[in-house]
Amino acid sequence: MKNRGLKQIASSIWKMLKDFPVVLILILFFVAFSVLFPDRFLSQMNFSSMMRQFVTLMLFAIGPSMMMTMGSLDLTYVGIWMLGGALVWFFTPIIGIAAILVVPLLGVVTGFLVGVIQAKAKIPSFILTLSIMFTYWGLTAMISGGYPRTVQAYGFITAKVIPGVPTALLWAIPILVAAIYLTKYTRFGTYLYAIGSNEEGAHLAGINVLKYKILAFTVSGLFIGLGSMILFQHMGGSVAVEMNLNTMNWPLVAIILGGTPLMGGSGGPQRTILGALTLTILVRGLNVAMLKPEAIQLLVGLMLIASILVGSRSANKGGLEVS
Amino acid sequence: MPEKDAILELKNVTKTFGGVVRALDDINISIRKNEIVGVVGENGAGKSTMMKILAGVFPPDSGKLFYKGKEVPFPKSPKEAAKRGVAIVYQEKGVVPCLKVYQFLFLGNEDRYTTAGKLQLQKMRDYAGKVLKEFKINCDIDDYMYDLPLSTQKMIEIARAIVSLRIEHGDGTEMVIILDEPTAPLTIEERQDLFKQILAMKDRVSFIFVSHIMNEVMEFTDRIHVLRDGKVVASYDMHEERISEEALFRVIVGKESIGTFQRKACDPSDTGEILMEAVDLTKTGAYYDVSFCVRKGECLGIFGPAGAGQNEILRTIAGLLPFDKGQLIISGKKAGAKEPPHVRLDRGVGYFSGETGKELFLNWSIAKNITILNIPKILHKFTRVISFKAEKRLAENIIESLRIKAPGPNAECYALSGGNKQKVSVGKWFERNPDLFLMEGPTIGIDVGAREDIYEATIQMKERGISMILVSDDPKEYSYLCDKIIYMKNGRVSDVLSVEEFNEVISI
Repeated sequence: MKNRGLKQIASSIWKMLKDFPVVLILILFFVAFSVLFPDRFLSQMNFSSMMRQFVTLMLFAIGPSMMMTMGSLDLTYVGIWMLGGALVWFFTPIIGIAAILVVPLLGVVTGFLVGVIQAKAKIPSFILTLSIMFTYWGLTAMISGGYPRTVQAYGFITAKVIPGVPTALLWAIPILVAAIYLTKYTRFGTYLYAIGSNEEGAHLAGINVLKYKILAFTVSGLFIGLGSMILFQHMGGSVAVEMNLNTMNWPLVAIILGGTPLMGGSGGPQRTILGALTLTILVRGLNVAMLKPEAIQLLVGLMLIASILVGSRSANKGGLEVS
Repeated sequence: MPEKDAILELKNVTKTFGGVVRALDDINISIRKNEIVGVVGENGAGKSTMMKILAGVFPPDSGKLFYKGKEVPFPKSPKEAAKRGVAIVYQEKGVVPCLKVYQFLFLGNEDRYTTAGKLQLQKMRDYAGKVLKEFKINCDIDDYMYDLPLSTQKMIEIARAIVSLRIEHGDGTEMVIILDEPTAPLTIEERQDLFKQILAMKDRVSFIFVSHIMNEVMEFTDRIHVLRDGKVVASYDMHEERISEEALFRVIVGKESIGTFQRKACDPSDTGEILMEAVDLTKTGAYYDVSFCVRKGECLGIFGPAGAGQNEILRTIAGLLPFDKGQLIISGKKAGAKEPPHVRLDRGVGYFSGETGKELFLNWSIAKNITILNIPKILHKFTRVISFKAEKRLAENIIESLRIKAPGPNAECYALSGGNKQKVSVGKWFERNPDLFLMEGPTIGIDVGAREDIYEATIQMKERGISMILVSDDPKEYSYLCDKIIYMKNGRVSDVLSVEEFNEVISI
């Protein structure tokens, strides 16, 4: 009896490792850093840093990971976050505290716009959203006059609720649950996967591909907007005017590391949790190892290449059909 | 002994794949100077294997090749094939659209026009101009390929093949160009143009013309070889005997029955309610003035030699191809000419293409592939959330009723065999119950057992009152499934037949 139970546990662990190979890397990193730097890595301070880092990655990556299941890239998040912040700074003196809602609104509008342009003009989403990001960056600098601006009024967003846990993480939970619900349990989510897996097939099966593409970008924009609203305060309550490449790269790395293939068709926000965790542990671990930032950059880059390779291999198995 | 005036001769060529499938079985074919040899056969008859052997894609297992009467080894690369006077023009993807005409003509042979690393553009342009004039190709050397009509592109491809052979052999005429279904992407008018030009080239080169568009083969070739199951089953000299299109068709398809499947009688009443009606439907270049109607619970077949327009009509009804003129009335309502498939689905029209690669979500489970069209059926009663339990139950039903061989509803589709993949594709429509079900080659490339299961499923659907339209390469399918058959020729309806009349024409 006991033996059989063990076997079952072993087989379910095996299945999990097969489906989520990143778990292995996650554990590996965690154990390695814990052994190498027990004092610094396992400290209270580091854990709280990790949570902060994790939630930053997640809030940026939720929308884009939904998009990637459809085979599209949505890089607008940094732009929405920056421009959203600038708009909050601009509007708070005029309309008061409600100005923070400008951020999700900006997200939805941006997403809809991207969706319409992408679907109608058939431009690759990567280049389109990249250009939008740069445009928003420029707008941010113009609105804020080129200086980082601080807005005081929104401290309540990240006010401490549970000691040691960043409040942003609590905010992230309902957003994440909503995203997972949408992708896994609704017609909308199913169609996202369908378009990512086989766009022509979706078209043949009578799915309104155009409509769902526009809808998907809009929903992604909403999630990015909601995330950016919290991140605005979480990342200091000020408007960033300088682009930090890591802010753009790392959420992307988290998505791909989590196992959502660039081609789409599988994966999703629930997988990105694992990717974000792994990346957080890696980056924090390298930080406590006192590595130079350049070295961390290099290692994260290599990690990304490796995960893309692994991801494309598992995506290819569907395409190995011999005709 | 090799034939005396043959440029190229294949003798006793055999090729197997994976040690099992005999793709070619003891083939003897020759090509003489200044002639067009037609090679016809069904999909999988061995046409492309033969071409690829000649073009140097892979060597045969055994057999001999004679070039100008002398035995030569089989080519191992396209370059070596060119040494034996053979070049091939593939069905598609042969054109590089962003190049100018003269650049494309010399693509891959630029080294002949290079001195000290610099292309001699003037020399290339002069020669390109001469080539265009020689073959009477109506375009400028500075035109971009993508700007030209498809038939002109095809001609330039052929010219390019000839240029590359001339670079190898000088201006001789002993060379063979293989044309792999050159007219497949062309409209009916463009085909005529292309053939006029090909005929004009006959005094300079010989052609092997591979096609399954029967009337073209019969009109333009000097000799015809029919391949079936890797064997040459018949050869005709078109100057000595004329065979009828129907007779040739019979030889191509063969008479072997595909199995024990029995047609179920259904009553071909002319009184049922009309579900769909086409009135003078026209798509220029594909079909003209087509009118017919489909009644409730009836299966209509649209039959014709390949390229007669039947596939385009079906795709038009599915919403994949807009029509130019005429009316399409579905369930009493006029349908717009440019409606996409999802609007047609709302009108109750479902389209099933036999190409599983197109239809299936290969990295998905069977269950998901079936429920993609049936999501309302698996939503929870109150919460409207997708219930994975319901999804599984629904899939299990389909697996059982269509006899899909799979480990379970969660098995991923890429691992299934061709026949089972096809059944999953049909399964989603079987569950969906559209009012009008369009089938385009529903059993392409699958084995007999799976075919019967699919026929049974379609007949069950018919019994539920679903109307159907069938287009297929296999005439037997029409006599199994259809109640009424429209016979198309060159884009027009030439006859409307009952099943009995149809059987007589095709002589099954």
